[in-house]
Amino acid sequence: MTTMKTLQTLTLAVLFIGFTSCTSDDDNTPTPDPVQAELVSNLFAPQTGGQGTGQDEGGPFTKFDFKTGAETTSDTEWDIAFRGTTIAVNGGTTTGTNDEPTRNGDAGASIVTGTFDSINTADGLTFAQDTASGFAIPTGSDNGWYNYDFMNNIIMPIPGKMLVFRTRDGNYAKVEILSYYKDQDNSTPANGRHYTFNYVYNPNAGETSFE
Amino acid sequence: MKYKCLIINTLTILSFLNVVSQEVVGSTQVNKLEEVILTATRTERQLSSLPLPVTLISKKKILQSGTIRLDEILSEQTGIITVADESGFEGVQIQGIASDYILILIDGVPLVGRSAGNFDLSRITIGNIKQIEVVKGPSSSLYGSEALGGVINIITEKPKSEELNGNVSYRIGSFTQQDINLDIKQRYKKLRYGFFANRFSSEGYDLNPDVEGQTVNPFENYTVNGRVYYDFNDKLALFTSTRFYDQIQDAGFTFNDVQFEGDSKEREWNAHARLDQKWNEKLTTSYEFYYTNYTANERLADPISDDVLSDSDFDQKLVRPEIRGSYAFAPADRSGNAGWKAGTLTAGLGFQYDELDRTFFDEPVSFNSQYVYAQYDINPIERLNVIAGARFDNHSEYSNQFSPKLAMRYKLTDAFAVKGSVGYGFKAPDFRQLYFDFTNSAVGYTVLGYNVALEKLQELQEQGQILDVVVSDDDLNNPLEAESSVGYNLGLTFKEGKWNSELNFFRNDIKNLIDTRIIARKTNGQNVFSYVNFDEIYTTGFEINTGYKINDAINLSAGYQLLYAYDKKKQQDVEDGQVFARDPATNQTVAVTQSDYFGLVNRSRHNANFKVFYDIASAKANINLRLLYRSKYAQFDTNGNGLIDSYDTSFIDGFLTANVAASKTFYEDFTLQVGANNLLDYTDNNIPTLPGIQGYVKLNYQF
Repeated sequence: MTTMKTLQTLTLAVLFIGFTSCTSDDDNTPTPDPVQAELVSNLFAPQTGGQGTGQDEGGPFTKFDFKTGAETTSDTEWDIAFRGTTIAVNGGTTTGTNDEPTRNGDAGASIVTGTFDSINTADGLTFAQDTASGFAIPTGSDNGWYNYDFMNNIIMPIPGKMLVFRTRDGNYAKVEILSYYKDQDNSTPANGRHYTFNYVYNPNAGETSFE
Repeated sequence: MKYKCLIINTLTILSFLNVVSQEVVGSTQVNKLEEVILTATRTERQLSSLPLPVTLISKKKILQSGTIRLDEILSEQTGIITVADESGFEGVQIQGIASDYILILIDGVPLVGRSAGNFDLSRITIGNIKQIEVVKGPSSSLYGSEALGGVINIITEKPKSEELNGNVSYRIGSFTQQDINLDIKQRYKKLRYGFFANRFSSEGYDLNPDVEGQTVNPFENYTVNGRVYYDFNDKLALFTSTRFYDQIQDAGFTFNDVQFEGDSKEREWNAHARLDQKWNEKLTTSYEFYYTNYTANERLADPISDDVLSDSDFDQKLVRPEIRGSYAFAPADRSGNAGWKAGTLTAGLGFQYDELDRTFFDEPVSFNSQYVYAQYDINPIERLNVIAGARFDNHSEYSNQFSPKLAMRYKLTDAFAVKGSVGYGFKAPDFRQLYFDFTNSAVGYTVLGYNVALEKLQELQEQGQILDVVVSDDDLNNPLEAESSVGYNLGLTFKEGKWNSELNFFRNDIKNLIDTRIIARKTNGQNVFSYVNFDEIYTTGFEINTGYKINDAINLSAGYQLLYAYDKKKQQDVEDGQVFARDPATNQTVAVTQSDYFGLVNRSRHNANFKVFYDIASAKANINLRLLYRSKYAQFDTNGNGLIDSYDTSFIDGFLTANVAASKTFYEDFTLQVGANNLLDYTDNNIPTLPGIQGYVKLNYQF
């Protein structure tokens, strides 16, 4: 997995934080940190069993932390996690499939219709959590984030389905999944289970804006 | 007095009591020199006098064009397109309306046997027909279900000569395509008969050698038609016709590296009897009986282990007795015969029994319907012709249908006339939409017919296969409505000297279109689909045809159709910014704009044709060139947003096909024809029905 990070943004953000803290006067409201817009490429989300194998789905989820903008193996410091086409959130309870991570945060998910740019706030959205009866982002073709084209055997992220997350500790992020295939090349099923997605994360706790 | 007369005569027509002999006055009512159409009014009418958009294809044109199957000649007409839909089966499209909604008739009685709604027109040989009549726009006021987009009627010829006459022909062409015809006709005093036999075969072709199997597999088919006519006297005439069709085609399918092989068989049987009675110069009645049976089956098995991959059967039967009559209040051939009381009343009633037994049905299912129709054709003033008609269908499986129609033609000058019509058309839900029970064994999804959905869903629930049901029981309890349309046509005709032009604007608003939707989710992650009424679409545009006769030898004609065909709800969703696609460059979501929405699948915005027919009388020869163009169209949605937009990748670019044929008659009775279809050799892997250049040679002996 290669997580492309715009170092500049982070550096600027760090400098900015440093700068503001140096000059803060006691009566000044601190200027909020800018939102972080990132592209994550080829996040590998393997799975055992499942569709067509006759075996139950299993295998560890690949966890992602918006705060660091990176994949993580931490059992607590994660927001969302991927296994095959399934996406879990670190909020609620386990749904009962094999090898699911324990939920210990308050993350939630909301599916919003629109273009990525048109979603500029998480305000007013209802966030679902994983429960014993299913994932916050429903699984199956045409139910959640993807559509399965069985003629061509391709998983396609449904255009216009944007995912908005509340992170485990109350920040907000919006996500658009661009591809389920390695290097966004869906010409062979072997490339599958590699997520590429855009996200915008607001590092200020409780702030719902994505601008 | 006249009104009393009307009522009495209508009752007589409808109840056809006993035969009363009356004196015969006058002779034929129709000028035989004019082209005559039967389909539009169910009475003989001059083509040029009709208030409806009608296309007539004569036997001469069919022969000169070197076309041998119905799909070939129809696709050369303006505004008529043959195209394969998502199911892979080819059907005809008229005014942008798909094959499901076009009724196909032979001598006025319907043909059955459709594949995923498409009627395969290549099933019908055109070796023995007198003419083909196409009425565009809804005609349910006369023909009931399926006549929503138009009616295609194939008319056979009544033998006239006392001498044995007919023809034998043999044609061979590319892909070892062979067509053999034998046609015999004779009149013997009161008895006339016609016998026709055709064998058609081809070795098929392969457009894409990289893919296992051929694009079209080898096939051979036979058509046999026998007709007997008996004129008891001037007033009573019997017509009977029996037609038999049989086709066998190789079938193959590669699945999990096993090459399955088998046969695909089709068989059709039609029996048609009609007694025409002429009571007097004003009143005629017909008593008709029709039976047809269409069967198809396909079996695919592993040739080594004999494991059966699939074995499907289809067996449809239709029985239809009908009585109809026409009463002319005043003979129509006398000039100046206008006025409100001088019209022709046509009325009929009938019963239809329809039965289907097929794989994926629990048991054979049947429909019953009774219908009655009436039509009044009148010239209230000399320049104006009005036809008003309506039909009522009572059906066992869906709500009753009332189908009115009104058409008018006004003669502006000797050269110009305007004509307009508005009519209602409908298509009953078909057997598949009501009774299907199909689970795809490879993928695991299920499709259920509407009438069996609740019951089958309960069975699946009891088997623990259902995760959740996403529609309420109420949604599945309300009966499925018939698909229906209102069609408008407004046209202008011009006919003077060497020119002959016709312009027609059309608009069809179709509602209650039946499509599939998800009704439940299965535990295997797949869905259960069933049928529902939800789409509203429209097709609109215009058609223009112009013919110019340079001299007795050279005839030019050109035609063009402009078509817009959209789903109303999707158009609204696009306008509201609720439809999205992915930009192929970035994979990011973009909103589909109104200019991105292309419209319905398989519809080309532009269709055009240009034809030259050149008769060389001195050499007893003729030659012709036909150019056909259709603009870009899309085959299916490729980006999952449920409509065709400019980001989809299933577009077929506009293309031109050129067909040529040349014939020469020698030794009086022999005709040699040489021709080529698709002379420009245009092919596309995505148009499986269009092979490359197809040359042919035909020898015909006329006796």
